Amino acid sequence: MRLLLVEDEIDIQHFLRSSLEEAGYQVEAAADGKTAERLAIDGQFDILIVDLGLPDQDGISLILKLRQLGVRAPVLILSARRSVDDRVRGLEQGGDDYLTKPFALAELLARLRNLLRRNSPPGTEATRLRVLDLELDLLRREATRSGQVLQLTPQEFVLLEYLCRNAGRVVTRSMILDKVWGMRIQPDTNVVDVHIYRLRGKVDGSGQQPLIRTLRGVGYVLKDR
Amino acid sequence: MFLKTANPTMHSAAWRISLWATLAFACGTMLVFVFLHSFVANDIQRRSDAWLSGEVEVLGDVAERTPKDALYGRVVGEVAELAGKEVPNKLLSESSPNDSVFFLQTGDDGSMKLWVGAGDGKPNLKAIQAIRIVPDHPTDLRVEGFGVPFRVASIRIDDGTYIYLGLSERDELRVLRSLRLRFFLIWLLLVLFGFGIVFYTTRRMLSHVRGITEAASKIGHSDLNARVPTTERSDEVGHLARTLNRMLDRIESSIHQLHTITDSLAHDLRSPLTAIRGKLEMSLSVVTQGEQAEPIVAAIEELDRLTEFLNQSLDVAESKADALRLTRSEVDLDELLRIMIDLYEPSMSEKGLHIQLQSKGPVHIEADAALIHRMIANVFDNELKHLPPDCTVTMQLKVEGESVSLVCEDDGPGFSNEVMPHLFERRVKGRESNGHGLGLAFIDAVARAHGGAVSASNRESGGARIEVTLPLAVNGHKASSTTMLHGVS
Repeated sequence: MRLLLVEDEIDIQHFLRSSLEEAGYQVEAAADGKTAERLAIDGQFDILIVDLGLPDQDGISLILKLRQLGVRAPVLILSARRSVDDRVRGLEQGGDDYLTKPFALAELLARLRNLLRRNSPPGTEATRLRVLDLELDLLRREATRSGQVLQLTPQEFVLLEYLCRNAGRVVTRSMILDKVWGMRIQPDTNVVDVHIYRLRGKVDGSGQQPLIRTLRGVGYVLKDR
Repeated sequence: MFLKTANPTMHSAAWRISLWATLAFACGTMLVFVFLHSFVANDIQRRSDAWLSGEVEVLGDVAERTPKDALYGRVVGEVAELAGKEVPNKLLSESSPNDSVFFLQTGDDGSMKLWVGAGDGKPNLKAIQAIRIVPDHPTDLRVEGFGVPFRVASIRIDDGTYIYLGLSERDELRVLRSLRLRFFLIWLLLVLFGFGIVFYTTRRMLSHVRGITEAASKIGHSDLNARVPTTERSDEVGHLARTLNRMLDRIESSIHQLHTITDSLAHDLRSPLTAIRGKLEMSLSVVTQGEQAEPIVAAIEELDRLTEFLNQSLDVAESKADALRLTRSEVDLDELLRIMIDLYEPSMSEKGLHIQLQSKGPVHIEADAALIHRMIANVFDNELKHLPPDCTVTMQLKVEGESVSLVCEDDGPGFSNEVMPHLFERRVKGRESNGHGLGLAFIDAVARAHGGAVSASNRESGGARIEVTLPLAVNGHKASSTTMLHGVS
């Protein structure tokens, strides 16, 4: 996967580049709009990350220009702007997703994966999810572990489904809040942890190998091996 | 005269002004008429009194000179009848003068000697005997059987008899009545016409003011780019519109300035925060377990709290200046509360708290979904952090008129007296609180930005009560997202 990173803050560019490379992307980085244009025309990229505040031009106008030049790859916008209006404008004008600084790396990676999946031809939607001995029947909304049916509330099922779909990858609290409850909030209480704790009690109960792991300060991961 | 329906016209200033102006005009003209009427009435009376005095004197003269023989009655009667034909103010249609004038002569013993007029004169005599009539001073006399009083003049002649001449006031009253009737009709026309003119002109004038008000209120809620409509005229209304627009120019530039400051502040702080967070996460991936990871995790959590604090501070600051930018969409508060309760219930029951919702179904508002989510999460976070175990939180959703109130009540210790007067100020928190003291200030900020309000109090039965009031969505009206985009990234 070839990725073009357009970010003028050298600090951020560095850590993003190394984390992205670690995640398996081939990263080319640009610190301003001019370089980004040149790189985008020369090389074929699968995905772009563009910061809105560039020294020589606005990130939005860069995206518009790249689109005119025939760049079709999905764009993830990074911005330190606060207001939601910019998010809407960014999405309308060719950006495909939007992430506000500061962000969790896990969230950035998840969004990149989403964009790439969206861009690839749609496969048939699975009706069953399987992670190790955990199995989810998406039609009957039923989860089993080693053949034992788990007594889950509808909300717990949605939460488990989200973890299963991202099995082996880290999901943050705000990703869970966004995808499971549809809220972009940052509660300063442990609401998500308690949900995970309860879910874990049902999924990992009775001396089985624990599947849901907590990565403190980062989020959660459902083990897939 | 006027419809008593609850018409918006009747609450307008134009209506009130025209009503008062018309009332003043009506009272004024009525006063003038009362004065005129009494003048005319007095004059008519003076003229008939003069006639009566003159006639009664002539009659007295005739009666004195006429020999008291068989012909006396006829001569005096004839003269009296003749006098009756020259009655002043008499209407032409009057057929018989007899019932408008009477002549009576009484002896010194008070018995009737001669009578000319309608009827037999007995009720007239009785009425005259009932009151004392002073000669030369015409007096009102009410006679049984006659609707209108008579004006009576008397004279005493030398042979000791009295002569009374009575003139009915009927014609006089009829003249006055027709005068009143005509005046009333003209007065009514004038008043209605005047009302119409005053109402039309004030309404026209005030419709400009209303246009300005409507435009100005829209500006307050959506965007600052709009201006109130101005007219070419240089009257007070035109001045008002131009002054308002100049004021709006200044406000827009201040708000722009504020947005620039908050945005660049946010940007300047966020970029280093992003770099720090990224580096921390990277070092966490190297040191995955054990005691070394602990301070890194704590630092990341602190950083996230700092970011949220930064966001809320800037939101509160902008809302204090009424400059919070909203992206409105339709939000169902009932659904949102159910989701929030679903989200918070496990944490609450973990702490031994109970939560219940009282709502009668969907309640739609036009609001910035992200801000409303954060506001309600704030309310729940507050309860979760400050309530001791075994308390119950009750969320109520009540629609009242054109607004909805979201009431959050608990049976905990309530707000302490020391923080009570400063609840909505920034950095105010209870001594035991570990929050950053923005909670209620942020709730207040979001409510105000949506045209609502927040009140916080202690319940009489103990416990805290927070009430957030928000305007309901106007049916068929979809507020569009704001277009104010000043900013740096």
